[in-house]
Amino acid sequence: MSSAAIAGLGITELGKVYGRSSSSLAAEAVRLAAADAGIPLSAVDGLLISSGQKQDVGITLANALSTGPLGLCMTMNSFGATAGIMVATAAKAIAEGTATTVACVFADTPLKPKQSTGAAWGSPRASTREIAGLGGWSLAGGAINPNILYAMCARRHMERYGTTSEQLGQIAVAQRAWAQHNPLAAMREPMTLEDHQNSRWIADPLHLLDCCLVSNGAVAVIVTAADRAKDLAKPPVHVWGWGQAHEVRRMHRGSDWGLVTPAARSGAAAMRMAGIGVDDVDVAELYDCYTYTVLVTLEDYGFCEKGEGGAFVSDGRLAPGGKLAVNTGGGQLSGYYMWGMTPLSEAIIQARGEGGARQAPRNDVVLVSGNGGILEHHSTLVLSPHARKLPAEVTA
Amino acid sequence: MSTPEVSELPPPFPAVQRDRATEAFFDAASRGELLVQQCAGCDTVLPPEAKTCFSCGSDNLGPTVVSGRGRLITWVVVTHAPVPVLAGAVPYVSAVVELDEGPWLMVRLVDADPTALAAGDAVQVDFVRSGAGENTGEMLPVFRPVGSEENATEEKA
Ligand SMILES: [Zn+2]
Repeated sequence: MSSAAIAGLGITELGKVYGRSSSSLAAEAVRLAAADAGIPLSAVDGLLISSGQKQDVGITLANALSTGPLGLCMTMNSFGATAGIMVATAAKAIAEGTATTVACVFADTPLKPKQSTGAAWGSPRASTREIAGLGGWSLAGGAINPNILYAMCARRHMERYGTTSEQLGQIAVAQRAWAQHNPLAAMREPMTLEDHQNSRWIADPLHLLDCCLVSNGAVAVIVTAADRAKDLAKPPVHVWGWGQAHEVRRMHRGSDWGLVTPAARSGAAAMRMAGIGVDDVDVAELYDCYTYTVLVTLEDYGFCEKGEGGAFVSDGRLAPGGKLAVNTGGGQLSGYYMWGMTPLSEAIIQARGEGGARQAPRNDVVLVSGNGGILEHHSTLVLSPHARKLPAEVTA
Repeated sequence: MSTPEVSELPPPFPAVQRDRATEAFFDAASRGELLVQQCAGCDTVLPPEAKTCFSCGSDNLGPTVVSGRGRLITWVVVTHAPVPVLAGAVPYVSAVVELDEGPWLMVRLVDADPTALAAGDAVQVDFVRSGAGENTGEMLPVFRPVGSEENATEEKA
């Protein structure tokens, strides 16, 4: 069985990119990723497509790219967990011979000129004056967007474990410190904990600086067989393991909603496949739609005990120079918001040693998470610049 | 955009209209009763929107009236209206409450001092008219903290 590696990374212009369709950005990202790998587009025989808020990129993208004959072509959507699941799907397709070289691409254009970030997440019910049935009751209840629902999860964690807003703020501050050294990051001004605490409420207990940015743009990666990747233009990033887990929101007594997430099962599966434990992780690129998501993922992956995430992040541990390099590009809070491609793209940069001033001191094992829905979908990847040791070699 | 006059703001609760599937729910609400669902297979009490019993997998669910008493699980203070029809409502508190019978409801918490709330606080259903003026809607279940001073002391004791 051949193992897979990521051979190419393509990132378009990100942020307030106007006047271009998601499909056009997606095609550009795939071209950039193929060029990065040093392969012609005709060598691509698999295409996995994810689009974000607008869900407006289809499999017709293959026509725009003029690839060779494809063995694999589909759109996928598990929200923010999609990127990790695309890489795992590509690795499996390569192992079984369905395709040899798979482009995985995410593109989205939720931002419009002269429109607030919040409006990009607006509800189609927004202008409806008469609202029918239980949906109307739910709307009147007012918990109708991700900010509010994640704030409910964060509050539950705070109430149960004593997690504080300042502790969440430490995550934002650490990531901003990393972002200062990332030329791709949108927010590079220095940030203090006081700045975090003084930023306006988005949904109390979440401040503005607890929440991710919204960006237009596209990111693509090329996945191929590891023995093929070693002969290409860039150092291969080996895929050691993957996992995914999905859980419905159980609205009933005994629910651990907000306390434990599908990251627990997904992370355990990926690390088991990779043959590593959390102590082996040098760099963690964790999906950060909110600061809270980073905290709960650290707990669920086992970096600390459940409920101790607040204390864990409070000693500067996640910041440059700290004990654990987390979200080294600034993540989605300070860098750019490309769903699961944000942590994945930075993981590739770190695994290759291309981080420049923000390069983590060690990069032998890089962990990547993706989170989608309201903590309903999760994916995990374990990546490394080194070829995966097969069990026989480990025991030899 | 300039700030509209208070009279132009939507009311605290948008005018919710019944549909064919919710006639019984809103009839109950107009009588001051909270109607949820109960599994015919295993008696588990489920939220009104449930389609399947999580406990036994049955989709044979029927209506049941519950006490309306419960406990606060979590809450958010919303200061910025997520949609225009809630512009007249901010600041408001959205909450998850656990009914004594077990199901969780995502509801508006009224008459609450956000600085004094704690998980586990006792809450009680109440019913408010949605909409305003010519554009009125159904009676809606909301929740309010009950015996906040005495109960809060009991919780902490
Ligand atoms: Zn049942």
